[in-house]
Amino acid sequence: MKPLNLIALLLFLGGAVWALTRSDRAVRDIQTGYYSAIAPFFKAGSAIETKARALQTETHHSKELEVKLHEAEMQMHRLELIESRYRDLEKENASLRDAVKFKASTKFDVVAAQIVRRQPTTWWQTVEIDRGKDFNIDAQYPVLSSEGLVGKVDLVRDDRSSVVLLTDESSQVSAKVEGTPEVGILVGQRGQFEGTPMLRLRYLSKEAASVKPGQRVFTTGRGGIFPANILLGTVESIEKNSLDSEALVRPSVNFGDLETVFVVLTHAKSP
Amino acid sequence: MIRYTLITLLLVLAAFVVQQFLPAFTGLHNARILLVQLVFLCTAVTVGTPTMLLLAFVCGFLWDAQCGLGQAGGDPGIYNLPVEVLHFGYSMLLFAAMGYLMQGIQPLFRQGKWQFSALLTGIAIFFYLSAEYALITFVRGGFVLSRATVMQVAVTSGLTMLFSPLVFWVLFRIANLCHHTIRFDGLKRRNRKRHS
Repeated sequence: MKPLNLIALLLFLGGAVWALTRSDRAVRDIQTGYYSAIAPFFKAGSAIETKARALQTETHHSKELEVKLHEAEMQMHRLELIESRYRDLEKENASLRDAVKFKASTKFDVVAAQIVRRQPTTWWQTVEIDRGKDFNIDAQYPVLSSEGLVGKVDLVRDDRSSVVLLTDESSQVSAKVEGTPEVGILVGQRGQFEGTPMLRLRYLSKEAASVKPGQRVFTTGRGGIFPANILLGTVESIEKNSLDSEALVRPSVNFGDLETVFVVLTHAKSP
Repeated sequence: MIRYTLITLLLVLAAFVVQQFLPAFTGLHNARILLVQLVFLCTAVTVGTPTMLLLAFVCGFLWDAQCGLGQAGGDPGIYNLPVEVLHFGYSMLLFAAMGYLMQGIQPLFRQGKWQFSALLTGIAIFFYLSAEYALITFVRGGFVLSRATVMQVAVTSGLTMLFSPLVFWVLFRIANLCHHTIRFDGLKRRNRKRHS
């Protein structure tokens, strides 16, 4: 090997070791710096994309647009209804907390966001949304849709965030099966790029006798990330192992058609 | 030579920006055009080892900054078995390995036979993605290789390879503009023909 090539290789290996030993915080800073540097290109690209979309929309048949508008209105009314119910429950919860002199105060609010990019990386099941730090979004915040839990925020920039979907293998949610004492950890599965991705509810009891296909799965609220009682999916089948049982769960959210999501801004304060 | 190196570095950076706007083709097994890898591999065969390693460092560094996932977070009492993520910096080693693979057939490229290099970009990307998947399997455990994954890797490699002649054409143009020779033997052969 030529001396120059050897020196270059040693320098490269030194650089690689330096990079591999960066802490998570340092990596996050590098990622933030990288996305800040390419932000102007994103803005220019988004402007072109918006124009292209507008042109595409114009070419759509008016009846199709009418149907879509009708559907959107119905959806909006539904969401308004859900929101008003949420507010009522929040008020009721606050008054009940007051009644029992519970000192912790919980603020619950959501930010609506549009999905601007799907599957930006090869292996991770993620999407990008058009809201970021400017809307008080932070890492690990839960993301919902009208159908249930979508995932959680991973990396936050000023005007965009990436969301790790529930279907990603790295996604873990503490979950319970409706009407049973069974609780477990719901995880995504590797290599599910086609069709409807299924989730796996792990660490159920050995028999899991009370779990039946068709039962709904909700968040438990434990683990410090996801609020309780958010719909996750429906049990498809149960697999019994020697030590525990696992259930295959069909997610309640249709990730292929997802367009609008809601980021939950939670600030739980200790007394 | 320095001008050519700087321009290829800028070309790689431009590829990173363009990559942001290249979607995954859901109808084609979620395949995508890996422009960054393609530009790097095509460039790797036209430069010396030190420049290739510099480009591998830059590409790996920025690729991990772009694609890295954060730690799972949450209460460790509940999520006591977090799923491992690939550590920042692993891509540099993969880029360098693929770069060395491309340089293996540099003599053929220098004879003017760029077609072999174009074919090798597809093979190198196939190995790159396979190695990435193997690393994920290694850190997370549990070997799962679905048909969807194999198809995604194969179609991504094939699709990306189709664009390699275009990248080589751009590199030849850049080399001409910089008065830098990247096809020594091919040039000699052509000059010999002219003289005879």
